[in-house]
Amino acid sequence: MGFYIRPQVLSHNSKPMAHHGDMRTSICSLCNGGCGLKVSVDQSAKVQAVFGDPDNPYNKGKLCPKPMEIVQTLYGPDRVGYPLKKVNGQFVRISWDEALNIIAQKHLNYLNNDGSGSIVGFTSKIGGSYSKLALSIFSELTGMANFGTGPICYDSEEKVRKAMFGSGSASTPLSDAIFAKLILIIGNNCAQTKAGQFQWLQEARRAGAKVVVIDPRYTETAQQVDQFIQIKPGTDGALGMALLHLIIKNKQYDEEFVREKTKDFDQLAKAVADFTPEKAAQITGVPQEVIEKLARDLGTSRPAMLWPGRGIVCVNNAGSTLLAFEALMAILGNIGKPGSGIVSHINGYGKANNLVPPEAVVKPHRKRNAQELYQALEEGEIKMLYIAGNPCANWPDSNRMSKGIAGVDFVVCHTLVLDDSAMLADIVLPAVHWLEESGMQAGINRVMQWKEKTGEPYAEAKSGGDFFRQLASKMGLPVSCFPDNPEEAWELERTHNPAIVGITVERMRQTPGGVHYPCPENGEESVRLFANAVFPTASGKIELLGDKRVELKYSDPLEAPGNAGMLQTEYPYLFSTVKVAAHYHTECQYSEWARELEKPYVELHPLTAVELEVTDGEELRIETATGSLVLPVRITHTVPRNVLFTQPYYTMKSGYETLPVNSLFPVACDQAGGNFVNKNILCRAYAERRLGR
Amino acid sequence: MSNQSMLIDLTSCIGCKACAVACKQENGLAAGNTFLKVWLKEYLKDKVVKYYVHQACHHCNAPRCQAACPVGAIERREDGVVVQDEDKCIGCQVCVTVCPYGGAKIMANGKAGKCSFCKHRLKSGVPSACVTVCPTQARIMGGREEIVREAERRKAELLGKGCSTRLEGINDIQTKVIYLLPE
Repeated sequence: MGFYIRPQVLSHNSKPMAHHGDMRTSICSLCNGGCGLKVSVDQSAKVQAVFGDPDNPYNKGKLCPKPMEIVQTLYGPDRVGYPLKKVNGQFVRISWDEALNIIAQKHLNYLNNDGSGSIVGFTSKIGGSYSKLALSIFSELTGMANFGTGPICYDSEEKVRKAMFGSGSASTPLSDAIFAKLILIIGNNCAQTKAGQFQWLQEARRAGAKVVVIDPRYTETAQQVDQFIQIKPGTDGALGMALLHLIIKNKQYDEEFVREKTKDFDQLAKAVADFTPEKAAQITGVPQEVIEKLARDLGTSRPAMLWPGRGIVCVNNAGSTLLAFEALMAILGNIGKPGSGIVSHINGYGKANNLVPPEAVVKPHRKRNAQELYQALEEGEIKMLYIAGNPCANWPDSNRMSKGIAGVDFVVCHTLVLDDSAMLADIVLPAVHWLEESGMQAGINRVMQWKEKTGEPYAEAKSGGDFFRQLASKMGLPVSCFPDNPEEAWELERTHNPAIVGITVERMRQTPGGVHYPCPENGEESVRLFANAVFPTASGKIELLGDKRVELKYSDPLEAPGNAGMLQTEYPYLFSTVKVAAHYHTECQYSEWARELEKPYVELHPLTAVELEVTDGEELRIETATGSLVLPVRITHTVPRNVLFTQPYYTMKSGYETLPVNSLFPVACDQAGGNFVNKNILCRAYAERRLGR
Repeated sequence: MSNQSMLIDLTSCIGCKACAVACKQENGLAAGNTFLKVWLKEYLKDKVVKYYVHQACHHCNAPRCQAACPVGAIERREDGVVVQDEDKCIGCQVCVTVCPYGGAKIMANGKAGKCSFCKHRLKSGVPSACVTVCPTQARIMGGREEIVREAERRKAELLGKGCSTRLEGINDIQTKVIYLLPE
């Protein structure tokens, strides 16, 4: 007689939550949406689960999957718990004290021998307001130049808007959508990227707003709105110029507002004088009647809001496209009034001044833009790097970036996980997670909310705030400049920035949903910018053509940086990245749940699939002039022909073990000198099996 | 919270999959175990029809899984929730085979598992985890009549806009979970 035992059945497959433990209020710090969270914490201050905060007026208890997934990364196997030092290619554990001593000594050494320009920071994931402030103080004291999220996300958008309106920040909270008559969403799949706040668009529609989505793909957002206009990739600028042309020709702009509050209108009119809807229809593939109808709608529906997304920002002709659409909003008078303006996740509120005594300020002795950084890395100009982020995956031409970083003498990586960049470091430092650090978190609704620390820092993890203060102390820098904790940091920042001086920690804590900014000494909130129609530009008006560094002129995406000079006969397709709701940057890939939900794939139009002789699930090799990558095919009617779309999240040093898709994008910025391009790059593709692999 | 029904309105779903993750979190499901699967479905008619399929237990009024289970591990409670007792389950997976909706699923330990309507939450009057997080009200819960009325209202509203949809779970086959699907 034999026994047959299945030991797995002794385990339970499901363990429903018995109780939700101690519930703490927090704010999600992932996508700058600013959703309120309730975090359940056990007796040992470990985060157990994340829920939506029903008392937060902006997300009303609703959530996207990301904050829930992130709990798995907190105590997951990839998390770094202790400082590590690389010895003979292997990481060995060291003490914080030893790590700080090594870093301080190296930093001083390079500072004295090679100058402040030899030390650079990649700081896109530095942490909350406390860590950001400490970094900026440290940088002022040492002349360290930092590259944050700007070059890989929003520089073009911020530059253009700042030149036009005097502020690069969003002018309107998303919640204003309920007052709008028309909402124009361009290159923005907010149903996936701001899912937790998507209800505002539904509310707006219920309140009578018409929502129009312009996108090359029939996205989840496009499905949920009143009108979807499918446009050829990268040609949005032509549509914007034709809309300007029509609005001006039909005199549908706000004449008084244009006269009193804007500058360069005549030049603007001249720049679009020959941009007829016929011409735009030819370029964009959008029928002429549709363009004319949209112009009429814009001319007659006020107030209207604009919500541009990465689809017109991370592209090689972003500058002129943004200029066209934002000028459109300006001449229609859709600025400063409830239900009008521009929605964005850019939430700049100005810098705190005079935190460091003038005599202690050190200027970087070399200034470089993001593009020049590559060469500086390769030529050995840069001796030391501080990494808080994952440039090996997030920066274009990832292979070149990785080689560049690997060649740097001394690399410090302050990180949550041993990711692709951390593996190249000489010293790896454990960072706190955003759930483990208090701080101010801004969001898509132009509010500042106080995020309470929920869990205790994992193992020996430290925040950037603590790290830079302690490092400064080891380096003999004036430690008194640094705040000791997040509350103190905010107090320091608030009192040194007149725009937010009225926003105390206490006030944020007591106001569900947070406090709108700017908020000066008198404590008055500003729900939207420019309500008084005063613009912080040189002229005090909206400069419709910006600072003229970006010309209002349609530029063909095939002739713009990254594609210029390439032969379309050799590279017949376009390659772009698009987002999904389960991922955010490279962070969520360390969650098992996220990995179960999303696998990398490339979307193809059925006719493109026929042309390439591939079917669903087959492997396709995609090649650009920069690199190549193999991805499984997903055939869909929702994308245009000859354009390949994939997702930008996955890396080698994660459960995905996939080459970062940035390996395929060239080191190219659009004309605004703005951010890198990760859409609309020429490529070619082959079925992998046809190559005999 | 007895006699609760759930509406899953696939025309409002934005495919963020928060429900699927909330389900895993609430029910303590390790990777490989799922009660709720969400994936994109797309086909061509006179237009492109695209929606996210939500595959989970429908909580039938006359569950085939209950009838088929050889050890009586599946039971339809008085309030209409179909529950499965994992301890009784012998992992024969017959329920998985007979379910017309793919609601019962094979778990990593070889036994079957399925949505319990978050019965542990119902006890304290809290809606299921998937409903609580849904940012677009594609998942709502309430009394049967109220939910049926809302489902009919949404169907009529969509029809007014020229979108034809169909309702599952209120006509010939009665289920606790009602689906509104695009056609």
